[in-house]
Amino acid sequence: MKHLSVVVDLSRCQVYGQCVFAAPAAFSLRSDDSMEFDPAPDEAIREHILRAAKACPVQAISVGWTDDAIGRSATDGRSSA
Amino acid sequence: MMPKTNTLLQQVLDPANRSNPYPLYAELRRTPVSLQEDGTYVVSTYRETAQLLQDPRISSDRRNRADAPPQLTPADRPFARNPSFIGLDPPAHDRGRHAVMKQFGPPHAPGRVESMRASIDEITTQLIDAQVGQDRLDIVDSFAFRLPVAVICDLLGVPLADADRLHAWSNAVVSRLDPASGDGPTEAQVQDVKQAEAEFFDYMGALLADRHKHPGGDLLSGLVNEQRPADRLSDAEAITTAVVLMIAGHETTVNLITNGVLTFLRHPEVLDRLRREPDLLISTVEELLRYEPPVQLRARTTLTDIEVAGVHIPRGADLVMLLAAANRDEARFPNAEQFMPDRADNEHLGFLTGIHYCFGAPLARIEAQIALREFVRRFEAPRLVVDPPPYRPSAMLRGPSELMIDVARVRAFREEPRGLAA
Repeated sequence: MKHLSVVVDLSRCQVYGQCVFAAPAAFSLRSDDSMEFDPAPDEAIREHILRAAKACPVQAISVGWTDDAIGRSATDGRSSA
Repeated sequence: MMPKTNTLLQQVLDPANRSNPYPLYAELRRTPVSLQEDGTYVVSTYRETAQLLQDPRISSDRRNRADAPPQLTPADRPFARNPSFIGLDPPAHDRGRHAVMKQFGPPHAPGRVESMRASIDEITTQLIDAQVGQDRLDIVDSFAFRLPVAVICDLLGVPLADADRLHAWSNAVVSRLDPASGDGPTEAQVQDVKQAEAEFFDYMGALLADRHKHPGGDLLSGLVNEQRPADRLSDAEAITTAVVLMIAGHETTVNLITNGVLTFLRHPEVLDRLRREPDLLISTVEELLRYEPPVQLRARTTLTDIEVAGVHIPRGADLVMLLAAANRDEARFPNAEQFMPDRADNEHLGFLTGIHYCFGAPLARIEAQIALREFVRRFEAPRLVVDPPPYRPSAMLRGPSELMIDVARVRAFREEPRGLAA
């Protein structure tokens, strides 16, 4: 079973917030202007996640798929979305 | 070489070059920062443009220009008295933008824009339904213009019945936004713009006063009924902001959608591919923002003397940031002059970069994705009637005034596309 895997390069992220607009279920802004994200969002919002990745002004979001056999924390081999 | 460079900005501003300014941009990029005859510095390469848009020594406040023209400053111009955050620097910019963002997006209203998707779908469907049976139509008039206007009216809570008046005012204000070229406007033109501005501001003032008393679920109602003092705008600030949002909703997304249709019809292989891979539209819209950005340039000024790409720019200078030229800089984008719908590394400047990153970007993206998806899905064998099409006058907000197409058939909404493998 494959799961969505989201990685945000926080050294690139400048908190433009575009991902929150596109996928509010997976990305959120806190009032102190820091960003939180779900690294393993539900497959049902795959399209939202892809839109969020494309909308990032600094292209800091990578989307890939991880396998249960490897574990959700494994992000090797992720493809850039 | 120098004398030729001096006239390039004037050529960019010349309406005769509106349909294809890209060769001029290529020539400008040979000098990353080039001083024009009239004292304007044009920035056209990606690295320098992106760098300056993020530089706090660069100002968006036109009052910081050394040669601020007198018609910008008198007290009878509401824009001059109360610039919106688009024409302000921090900290005033941050306060104004935050106050509006609180009503529009994260962290306070994270789902607002996404929740508009259903109504954007519905408006698009209705507009295209009205074209069923036509075999020749104007894309601008039939939906590229009407969709954004309906959406911005819905968001702001402005009656759609007033759209014609608002459009006329918006057009008048936009007509003076390009950097000055040639002889400048006549006294009569200046008076027309002033009157349009005054009427526009009066209209918004009355609307906001009404929303203050009778709030609805719209953005402006939220804005004028903000309870937290630090997030509250003055009446004058709220009016300017409402006017600017209205103009932005009228004059930019129309170009993104129209440029999209134009680009697809110039690249039939892209249109074919989009029919097979509708998911590709997400990255296609980003590529459109790079390749044919609705906002081609922005004006800035310097708060101090600066040095960029070996060029000394004095304080208070006029800067033109040529976003559309930077977007085709081969040093940043391989095959920059090619339209590649699946371009992977696409950090374009179509929505700018830095603190003035387009406020409405998330909404514009959804509108363009839906409008272009439905264009691809419902228009059978579309062809351009005239190429290049006629353009609206603005060099900054560049887009066709009319885009006539021939179409074999406009499909009904529920009809399955023909000729596709299941």
